[in-house]
Amino acid sequence: MNLEQQLKLQAFLDGELPECEAREILAWTQRDSAAASLLAELRNTRAAMVKSEPHLSVPESREFFWSKIEREIQRLEPQAASTPKVSIFTALRHWLLPASAVVTIIIAGMIVHFEFPNNATKTVVENVADADTTTVETTLASTDATTYRDASEGTTLVWFSSADDSPAQNKKSAIN
Amino acid sequence: MSEKNYSSNDDESLVKAARKGELAAFEELVFRHRDPIYARAFSMTRNEQDAVDLSQEAWVKGWQRLEQFHGESSFTTWMTRICINLCLDHLRKQKRHRADSIEEMDEDGGGVERQMPVVTVNPTAGLERAELRKKIDGALDQLSAEHRTVLVLHEFEDMEYKEIAQTVGCSIGTVMSRLFYARRKMAALLADMRKEL
Repeated sequence: MNLEQQLKLQAFLDGELPECEAREILAWTQRDSAAASLLAELRNTRAAMVKSEPHLSVPESREFFWSKIEREIQRLEPQAASTPKVSIFTALRHWLLPASAVVTIIIAGMIVHFEFPNNATKTVVENVADADTTTVETTLASTDATTYRDASEGTTLVWFSSADDSPAQNKKSAIN
Repeated sequence: MSEKNYSSNDDESLVKAARKGELAAFEELVFRHRDPIYARAFSMTRNEQDAVDLSQEAWVKGWQRLEQFHGESSFTTWMTRICINLCLDHLRKQKRHRADSIEEMDEDGGGVERQMPVVTVNPTAGLERAELRKKIDGALDQLSAEHRTVLVLHEFEDMEYKEIAQTVGCSIGTVMSRLFYARRKMAALLADMRKEL
């Protein structure tokens, strides 16, 4: 019996042969005692193996065995291991609030910028009803405009200064 | 870690929870299936510490690849395949550090297994299950890693020749040859053990 025939015999046992070839091998084993003996040996060994896989248990406690796995998982992906993964919607909600706050601030800044440009800062001088009142008020924090009103003198003094102006460049404007 | 108790959940719901990052759910899966995964690693490496390390590595890989588990097979089968691949990598690394054995040279030449006398009496007949397991275990110890791997994948994992060839990375002819040698050697070893009784 050559190696090819022996391997065919084994393939027959394992159900790996097409039906026509399997029939040929079966016929061969019925007329050849050596083939029949080898087939019987292979069959016995296979049967012994299939029903006898040793049952083994991990030789460590549950906690100890798990601790190494857990450490390795946390080392590889600390974020995912420490906090549960969040859905896309939760993540969006998480980022949407700060993002909308930033956008609101930017829009507010743009409105202030276009409504009150630095080089066109104006302070409206109100009519002062009470002639005896002296008022000092500061408007438009970004332009540092300070108004001084003296009703008794009938004088309003507006002091402009901007952040990029040097003290020498501060301008005074008096309106009578 | 979440304190939720997952002991009453089935595997499917545990996998779903673990995919969402619930480490406690994954711990429950490890607890349920750690023994068969370890047993497979041990049957391939025959070394207790290597088997523990490789099965733990398999669990870490399992966690990382949970998204790839779609339930075509059972969770244990899926995890076992991850473990088998790690064991094969481990055995390949080991092989690089040692010379090929005489057994393997003989296998390549197609000689030894053909010359062994056929074991005419079933050497395992009448043995108690526990005794048979012990003998099988002892005989597996004496096979080379290459032969043992093919035998374990075929008999314990129920893989077909083609699947074994793909997993191990060799031809179907090599699988057939290794399996034939491994079976014949096992028969001879079991017969010897019987004589010693």
